[in-house]
Amino acid sequence: MLIHGFVRHTGVPFHAITTELEHNSVLRPLTTLEQDRALSLSVVPFAGNKVSLAAIRQVIQPETRLVVMTHGSNVLGSVQEIKPIAEYLYTNDIFFIVDGAQTAGHFPISLSDIPVGAFVFTGHKALFGIPGTGGFYIPDPDAIAITRQGGTGTDSQALTQPSDMPMRFETGTLNYPGIASLLAGLRFINTESLEEIERKGRDLTGYFIRELQHMPGITLYTTAPDLPVVSFNINSIDNHEAGFILVRAYNIITRTGLHCAPLVHERIDGRKGCIRASFSWFNTRDECRAAAEAVREVVESADPQISAD
Amino acid sequence: MKEYVLDEPLTDDFLKFLENFGTVRFLEQLRKPYFSFEKELFISIKGFVGDGNVEVRYKKEFQDLVGDYFYLLLYYYDQGERGISQLKGQEDSIRQRMKIRL
Repeated sequence: MLIHGFVRHTGVPFHAITTELEHNSVLRPLTTLEQDRALSLSVVPFAGNKVSLAAIRQVIQPETRLVVMTHGSNVLGSVQEIKPIAEYLYTNDIFFIVDGAQTAGHFPISLSDIPVGAFVFTGHKALFGIPGTGGFYIPDPDAIAITRQGGTGTDSQALTQPSDMPMRFETGTLNYPGIASLLAGLRFINTESLEEIERKGRDLTGYFIRELQHMPGITLYTTAPDLPVVSFNINSIDNHEAGFILVRAYNIITRTGLHCAPLVHERIDGRKGCIRASFSWFNTRDECRAAAEAVREVVESADPQISAD
Repeated sequence: MKEYVLDEPLTDDFLKFLENFGTVRFLEQLRKPYFSFEKELFISIKGFVGDGNVEVRYKKEFQDLVGDYFYLLLYYYDQGERGISQLKGQEDSIRQRMKIRL
């Protein structure tokens, strides 16, 4: 909605920038618009699992009007330094959309200190809501043209979409059960405390990584993620097979494949995909231990040489 | 992808039968002994010995040609050596149709 709305608002083709870390929720609209010649696109590579301001500055052109970037990688678990990027882009009149789907709810984010054009969140990840909600913070709604029209439950005489907030972007019957669950999730976070949630995430992630780090036959794609996400491969078995075994034989649910982030996988595993374990407030150390033990059994079974050594 | 629920669990003997038609991988040092069967362009099967359900994937481009292949495996398994040669004959016919399509 934001990307298409910005394009419509701008009205003429321009240059946009995104990164190799992005989710398809960013890559697909940008690629589609590029194919439609509504914009030209530069994709900035990551280094050390992060995208730097310097790397972004290298691809900025006089026609650059938009940068869309993830706050946290759903594969590598790395959190990007968006504040200096936001400040630079703001100074240069480049609209900055930050995809906070992977970070909102994991740690405090002070948007009043970060001059973003928009910050996007989803309700069903670390905000503890059910699937089907999401939203964005946007200091200047007029920067985004209206791209959806429909009922708003207000101002029914108007035959065009109301332009004031929030009706400007909220169309149709809203997902009330989802919103109620999101509210419950936010209250839950306030009760438990964001700092404690962050601390526990780091503890579980660190524990799991320490267990895997010394296992032969494992490729770990990050050893110090900022988010409770650990991506890895078991060298002697396809990641989909490994995930199938972990869930069916051990009740350990992971996600396998490309995680809707194909460009990251192009860099880290040649687009074969990997296994991703994510840790929630509701996971325990015992569960992490059991997961690591299950991975060990798969490793040793898939490569008997390892268990023989 | 399809999940099949079987009347009886798959056995080690069925895995031996599968070896006549493709690549079988068997990992027994797991909480449940795991197997996979791959036949390029035809089918991929994953499951656990002793389980009554398996996950089956077909190549999308040839699903109409190979959609019944899993049933054929189960059917010809009961027929011993004769079943093996008959199924291989059917495979040849399917491959001919794949070649035309390719």
